[in-house]
Amino acid sequence: MKIVVGIKQVPETTNVKINEKTKNIDRRGISGVINQYDRHALEAAFEIKAKTNAEVIVMTMGPDDFVVSLQEALALGADSAVLLSDRAFAGADTLATGYVLSEAIKKIGDVDLVLLGQQSVDADTGQMGPIISEFLDISQVTYASKLDVEEGGLRIKRYLENIEQDITAKLPVLVTVTDQANDPKYVNIVEIAKSFEKEVTTWHASDLNLDADRVGQAGSPSVVRSISSPKEVVKDNYKLPDNPQDAADELVKILKDKNILVEDK
Amino acid sequence: MDQKTISQDILLRMVKAFVKNEVAPYDMEIDHTRSYVNNLWSKVKENDFLSLMLPEEYGGAGFNGRTSAKVINEIAKGNASLAVTLEGHFKSVDQIVKYGNDELKNEYLPQAKNRIIAFSMTEPSGGSNPMGINSHAEKRGDKWIINGDKIMITNGGLAEIYCVLVKTAPDELSFFVVDNEMEGFEYGKQENFLGLTGVPVGEIVMNNIEVDESHLLGKVGMGKEIGDSAHDDARVLMGAVLTGIMEHELDLVTDYATHRKAIDTPIIQMQGIQRKIADIAISKETTKLLYQKAAWMKDHGQDYEEEAAMAKAYGSRSAVKAGDDSLQILGGYGYSLDYPIEHLIRDARAMEIAEGTVEKMRTAIALKEAESRA
Ligand SMILES: Cc1cc2nc3c(=O)[nH]c(=O)nc-3n(C[C@H](O)[C@H](O)[C@H](O)COP(=O)(O)OP(=O)(O)OC[C@H]3O[C@@H](n4cnc5c(N)ncnc54)[C@H](O)[C@@H]3O)c2cc1C
Ligand SMILES: Cc1cc2nc3c(=O)[nH]c(=O)nc-3n(C[C@H](O)[C@H](O)[C@H](O)COP(=O)(O)OP(=O)(O)OC[C@H]3O[C@@H](n4cnc5c(N)ncnc54)[C@H](O)[C@@H]3O)c2cc1C
Repeated sequence: MKIVVGIKQVPETTNVKINEKTKNIDRRGISGVINQYDRHALEAAFEIKAKTNAEVIVMTMGPDDFVVSLQEALALGADSAVLLSDRAFAGADTLATGYVLSEAIKKIGDVDLVLLGQQSVDADTGQMGPIISEFLDISQVTYASKLDVEEGGLRIKRYLENIEQDITAKLPVLVTVTDQANDPKYVNIVEIAKSFEKEVTTWHASDLNLDADRVGQAGSPSVVRSISSPKEVVKDNYKLPDNPQDAADELVKILKDKNILVEDK
Repeated sequence: MDQKTISQDILLRMVKAFVKNEVAPYDMEIDHTRSYVNNLWSKVKENDFLSLMLPEEYGGAGFNGRTSAKVINEIAKGNASLAVTLEGHFKSVDQIVKYGNDELKNEYLPQAKNRIIAFSMTEPSGGSNPMGINSHAEKRGDKWIINGDKIMITNGGLAEIYCVLVKTAPDELSFFVVDNEMEGFEYGKQENFLGLTGVPVGEIVMNNIEVDESHLLGKVGMGKEIGDSAHDDARVLMGAVLTGIMEHELDLVTDYATHRKAIDTPIIQMQGIQRKIADIAISKETTKLLYQKAAWMKDHGQDYEEEAAMAKAYGSRSAVKAGDDSLQILGGYGYSLDYPIEHLIRDARAMEIAEGTVEKMRTAIALKEAESRA
């Protein structure tokens, strides 16, 4: 089985600052890490690899310093890595990013399983999975919280708001993975040096079969009009009485007034 | 980006995540229970923290002095005891790498991945004056017979392998390597220390331990040189531990002072508080620069004795003072055993004594200053 895992390098902090001028995430002075959900996608790939001897290829589109995340994935256990990097890719929205990633997956060829995180923690759209599966014309399962290999495919559990789905998926398939799927391991310190025996291949735009109008800024139909950090606001403060019984009564009253607590009929 | 930079980035990412998830949340519990709770110790071993500085040819990760010191700094931010436990091991591994003969290296260095190595000089008769020790080794045929009592050993009890300072003649100091599987080796009493309570500090007793010539570290009579070399290593790493403690304090005081209000004003707006916070920040940054400079000099083969002594002497007093200021900023909470400030003061205080007292440190610094002008 051949598995491609798409990973994204995101700012380390959850306290993301927006550059008011460029409307982009301000990455100055913030070191990157592998998007947390992608750690779960990688771990899912390693679990499948342990059972089936699958080949795990890790891939990212981004600037050259994303190579740290690829190398980290190699140290964690991926077999090889592909960096998609080109000035022409800059300013890509989700559509243009998905297009390049899907063309790179086609170039690798005979890929049975594409694993992604459920969403990135910086841009946060969750669109990449659906977009790539559409371009590759393969089926997709989003928000997978449990993955097992079965004869000819995968057995996947999705825990949604009101339902739990138990799915059998034939290969090839694209799956986006939640943080419930597994417990990602830390990089073993000694494995870091050894990971340099494995290869990171860089593909530029010219290495792929791309339509120039569909990449980078030119290929991005969506425009970010404005972007801002949420303001911290404090409202509706209540001071409850000191006596626990009175405090509980008062709290129940407040919750009922707000329709948060409703009478059981 | 070159391989060294990438490796260091990956390592520090991993260490930060490890400290955030596995170390920092247990800081108070480690202090109160005097142990590495929640399987922390096995997690440290599983992820090969013990191999951080060990050369690759012995199965280690082979990171340099500066990177290793940064790792110790990150760990100390979460828990200073764990950082000191690793410091004790690293400086000992380093001496075997530096002074061990091939036979000794091949025997012990591959084991350093899983077995802690400790470094013991101090005896009941004293620590500052190595000539005052009573432990001794006697040559019988092609064997050495070692007898003596070593106390206050960092990781004593947890460590399985010990570099021990002994007399090989009335005025001759030498180092040997012994391990807990040898006949005549016994663990003694554990210290009941004030701070760094996660670190086991204990005693070993040696009764006619018989070792081969290969267990001699360096040559006969090199005891002082090897002891000094270990101290230099340790003092750089202690500078890193002290930096981590002050970073921990800064996290606590800035958060508290931003949210705590006096009447309507957050106390961070008040000059008296600002002055304390600024002083802690200056001390932290100075200590950081000192230990990083010393580590850089070590990596480049320069004499870093003075800078290492400065990092520890300046860092330890500053961290104790910073802890005192932090306590004051947190008011009554600062004085509570339920908040971490008080144990950070106790932890920092150990480093005015361990690895050579600050008095000895100042002697070394003053003599170096004179020597450089002679
Ligand atoms: C409307 C819009 C406009 C944008 N404009 C710009 C812009 O002008 N300049 C700019 O720099 N950025 C821009 N971005 C951000 C950038 O294009 C997105 O981050 C990228 O398309 C991925 O989207 P996402 O992070 O929301 O991924 P999601 O769909 O949330 O990510 C899901 C999963 O897809 C995978 N994945 C995501 N990104 C990558 C990647 N690069 N390589 C490999 N795998 C990946 C990961 O497994 C991830 O967990 C824009 C985004 C949007 C939505
Ligand atoms: C947390 C901790 C961990 C330790 N770990 C180890 C370890 O791993 N291995 C090990 O061998 N030891 C270890 N020690 C012991 C430590 O090295 C000694 O405590 C230290 O060297 C001082 O020795 P001492 O306690 O005998 O004090 P003494 O040497 O008796 O000193 C008493 C006082 O006299 C001063 N003094 C002594 N001589 C001089 C001098 N020449 N000039 C100026 N002032 C002087 C000292 O500064 C001190 O203030 C540890 C101690 C602590 C607290």
